[in-house]
Amino acid sequence: MARHLNRWLILALVVVLVGLSMANKSYLNQVAITTMIFIVLTASLNYVTGTAGLLSLGHAAFFGVGAYAAALLSTKAGWSFWFTLPAAGVITAAIGIVVALPTMRLVSIYFAVATLGIGEMLYVTMLNWVGLTRGPMGIRSIPAIELPGAKALGLSSTEVSMLAVALVMLASLWAMHRLSHSFYGNSLRALREDDACADAMGIDIARLKLEAFAVSCFFAGIAGALFAHTTGYISPESFRFGESILVLSMAVIGGLGSLYGSVIGAVVLSVLPEALRELGSFRMIVVGLVLFLSILFLPRGLLGEVSALDLVRRQLRRAPAAGGRRRW
Amino acid sequence: MAATLAMPSASAVTSAATSAVTSAATSAATSPFTSATPLLVLDQVTRRFGGLVAVDSVSTSVGEGELVGLIGPNGAGKTTLFNCISGVVPPSSGQVRWRGQPLAGMKPYQIARLGIGRTFQNLRIFPNMTVFDNVSVGAIGREPNRPWSTFAGGRAEAARISAVSEQVLEQVGLAAVAGELAANLSYGKRKMLEIARALAGRPQLLILDEPAAGLNDTETAELAAFIRRLRADGTTVLLVEHDMGLVMSICTRVVVLAFGRKIADDVPEAVKRNPQVIEAYLGTEEDA
Repeated sequence: MARHLNRWLILALVVVLVGLSMANKSYLNQVAITTMIFIVLTASLNYVTGTAGLLSLGHAAFFGVGAYAAALLSTKAGWSFWFTLPAAGVITAAIGIVVALPTMRLVSIYFAVATLGIGEMLYVTMLNWVGLTRGPMGIRSIPAIELPGAKALGLSSTEVSMLAVALVMLASLWAMHRLSHSFYGNSLRALREDDACADAMGIDIARLKLEAFAVSCFFAGIAGALFAHTTGYISPESFRFGESILVLSMAVIGGLGSLYGSVIGAVVLSVLPEALRELGSFRMIVVGLVLFLSILFLPRGLLGEVSALDLVRRQLRRAPAAGGRRRW
Repeated sequence: MAATLAMPSASAVTSAATSAVTSAATSAATSPFTSATPLLVLDQVTRRFGGLVAVDSVSTSVGEGELVGLIGPNGAGKTTLFNCISGVVPPSSGQVRWRGQPLAGMKPYQIARLGIGRTFQNLRIFPNMTVFDNVSVGAIGREPNRPWSTFAGGRAEAARISAVSEQVLEQVGLAAVAGELAANLSYGKRKMLEIARALAGRPQLLILDEPAAGLNDTETAELAAFIRRLRADGTTVLLVEHDMGLVMSICTRVVVLAFGRKIADDVPEAVKRNPQVIEAYLGTEEDA
């Protein structure tokens, strides 16, 4: 059943995305690009939160780190997109490791609170390190993506962007799929289900947590680079706590632990607000309602491996017991 | 349990001397005291929690090929001693040695990788994973398990994990439900799944923490037969149990704890007749 659901939903999705991309309106094209970027971002959050069970509440900030890394490397150092893209991933992963190293020793809900703090710290840094980031003014005129030979084929710059973003999205999804649908992925799931037990089975959980976080940050950075180069302008406002929660909602609606679910959740919550634009500011109420109803009636999301509420509840319950275990 | 304990008559209790004779006769092949290569040695292991001495200077050893039972009434310190061995709680003093190597400062996963597998007293399977995936985690723990091996060079590793997992599932009789979610299994099967997961790590020493808890008589008998087969296949087993029945019927040697101290360490026949053991379990004759 779930298998078939996967196939139909993915098919529906491809139709939506292709439809948006083919549309001869640059607004719809932009929606398609944003949706694909959010697919990568949601999948990266799902990797660390849904598969490895580490609830991260500051993911948008890592998205921002990637965006700033790409923006600065291209505007100040003149790098092209194909170099800033991997660089943004690596820089974000490195920063993720550095800030996460002290928090890796925290368990369950304490880790979630720490990521919340890290997210705010990164946001405030983007906002106030005016010398580097130009603060609230943001960075403008970030060069668009260029594909070799695009001119010869007569592709417009929007088409080039869509194509490049689609390629990077597919490659990212493939990589995360390989990582999570393997025995390595099983060790991540063991971490989510019961970390002390995984430890007793011979799995180095401290190392595994760090790896999961680094991989997740890498792809958040990739998404950030896509964002910077396709919008041409970034400012700290796009990387606040609210965005982290939006991305988390996408992962939860699709189903924690399911890569397909993340794709679907990202499409639903990216396209829905655009489709409801006529409702004006009321549209966010509808979005909130969708989230609320999905938690109520689909506790595992559409395709999830674990119930989001269970995950949080379990972490809350385990917290005091784990507090007594101070050895690592 | 009561039936087993009722067996030694009053005369047997008073003449402890006969036990030495019995033990020498019945345990020539598996004598605890002549074990050539002790796998695990506990040397004066003590663990204090604040003012409470949970484990008080316990020394014993587990030799290769033995099936040792660790028993004691509730609160005797069995689980704490277990945790000292598996690295969950470090001993306050004393030493745990594995093949002569001290385990001090090692984390649970490092100890597991040395070849000490374990199960948990209160079932700790991974409920949202399939039976096969649960078992695979035990095998993954013995492999390098690096993320890049999922892209290149990990084929042999994955093949080893698959092969071991399938073989262990066959061994415990769960092959037919390999694709089921672990949460959907019956209690008895979940218990076997936990043992299977530990076995997938190819342990030289398997420590079972109250495997019979919550099982009915038939299931317990099956478990006893299974543990005997394990030992016949060459796995050394340390059985931590609250219930004496299972321990007395299958173990080659029994260590008894009471109030954190070791009060007996002998073949089952001798332990059954040990007055201190009987007192710890049933109270003194005056009390009874």
